[in-house]
Amino acid sequence: MTGSRAATAFPPPGPGRVVRGVLLVVLVATSLGPLVLLAIWSISGRWLYPSLLPTEYSAASWRALGTESLGPALVTSGALAVVAGLVGCMLALPLGRALARLRGWRRHVGAVAAFLPVAAPPLALGTGLQVVLLSVGLGGTATGVLLAHLVPAVGYLSLFFLGTFTLFDARVEAEARTLGATPWQMWRHVLLPMLRGPIAEAVALGFLISWGQFALTLVVGGGAVRALPLEVFSLVRAGQDRAAAVGALLLVVPPVVGLAALRWAARRTTVAPA
Amino acid sequence: MSIFMRLRRGSDADLMGLGAGLVLATPVLVGIGYAAAASLGVAGPGASEAGVERIERVLTESATWRGLGLTLWVAALATALATAGAVLVAVLFRGVGWLDRVARGLAVLPLPVPHLVAGALGVWVLGQSGEISRVLAAVGAVRMPAEVPALVYDRWGLGLALTMAWKESAFLAVIATALLATRSLDVEEAARTLGAGPVHTFVRITWPILWRGLLPAVIAVFVFVAGSYEAAMLLAPSDPLLLPLLVADRASDPDLGRRGDAYVVSLLLLGIAVLAVVAHEWTRARWEPLDP
Repeated sequence: MTGSRAATAFPPPGPGRVVRGVLLVVLVATSLGPLVLLAIWSISGRWLYPSLLPTEYSAASWRALGTESLGPALVTSGALAVVAGLVGCMLALPLGRALARLRGWRRHVGAVAAFLPVAAPPLALGTGLQVVLLSVGLGGTATGVLLAHLVPAVGYLSLFFLGTFTLFDARVEAEARTLGATPWQMWRHVLLPMLRGPIAEAVALGFLISWGQFALTLVVGGGAVRALPLEVFSLVRAGQDRAAAVGALLLVVPPVVGLAALRWAARRTTVAPA
Repeated sequence: MSIFMRLRRGSDADLMGLGAGLVLATPVLVGIGYAAAASLGVAGPGASEAGVERIERVLTESATWRGLGLTLWVAALATALATAGAVLVAVLFRGVGWLDRVARGLAVLPLPVPHLVAGALGVWVLGQSGEISRVLAAVGAVRMPAEVPALVYDRWGLGLALTMAWKESAFLAVIATALLATRSLDVEEAARTLGAGPVHTFVRITWPILWRGLLPAVIAVFVFVAGSYEAAMLLAPSDPLLLPLLVADRASDPDLGRRGDAYVVSLLLLGIAVLAVVAHEWTRARWEPLDP
């Protein structure tokens, strides 16, 4: 069954072109509008109420990027997110594979366990993690923040690999073993090449999860680890809208590019369906 | 038969899988355990003898229950609005034409926007001198910001609910679109062949498929909104405080003896999350068993 058949055989019931047109306008306004607004704020100069657009423009906030707090925060966030994506993927791959091999009630227990760190409110999760990390001397350090970011990241990515391995044809593994492959050879020459696409997607996902973390960074970092979300938050609260808009754009661009890359990669996934 | 005896009868794969689950759940379980110990007064700030005074004090405070009520209200409103938006997009733009593809792409755009940026956008768009207010001023509907209804720090959390609905509708739109693309075509075709009209087909076929398939994601969105902190910090009212804000407020109380109260509120939040996780898995398993 193809999508085009659906489009021609079953046009949407009820509302016609007018409703579609209205909804499209609403979508343009609500999806593109806020992002355009961020861009305008970031280059605005004088912009008093009730002007719809700035009366003066300035690149001062962008020029200040290299000298003020946003630049170092960008580097900190980037480093944390890259490491969280890579390490999170390395941890989640075997965990997700182990979960995917569960059957019956055990599989539901496994899925619940993986979803818990994803659904737990970051602040509530952070207060517990803070105590543990403080007790081992990692409170207020970048390493502690990274470990905290890994908790939801590994949860998300384990669920991701649980889905991936559920679709994976386990017979490939069995055949490799029958042909005498050791576990290491099977991973090196069979599984990893076949999972190249999902692994790339998982690293990107892990990056994005760490990139946007606010509460865990605040609680575990104790304000000493100045990642980009913390700086943007401080700027918004301080009413420094132009600098905050620059920071917000910096926070938005990598995830948008990441989403586009994920959608592109999804079309090239090489997992053999069962 | 005990769970251990059943496990012993299971394979190595079961043991490894459940071990993986334990590894993943441990940080949350430690958090729950510590919060429980701190709630009983045996750990955390102001710890002394075990007792239920902290729990009693927090559970008898009106701030706790009003905060819980506002948290559930904002989460429910945001989830309902996000679901409605996602269903509209999925149903009205399900074709393969360029317009449908553009609309679906636009609907997904807020998905990668971090919650903090969504909150900041909420301030800049919904605030009394924000973009909506400027548009209203431009068309002569208002003359000054004070004439615009307050949607930032408003007592009903409407600005926060609208912002979170915008952010989370993208996630639900992805799932609703995928559901209609993969699950409904054969059944709809059969219904139409048997003479059902478009509205009848939607009510009896499309909507039930959408709703059952979306329910786990709807539960996930509810718990994400309920636990959201950064957007709430920027948009939510200061009285009553949403539960995540109440945790932060109690944790920084000038009275050190009261800082432990944060853990009781934290337990409430974690309890909501655990209930939601179980409900999520239960609804998902009914619709799509994980076993291949």
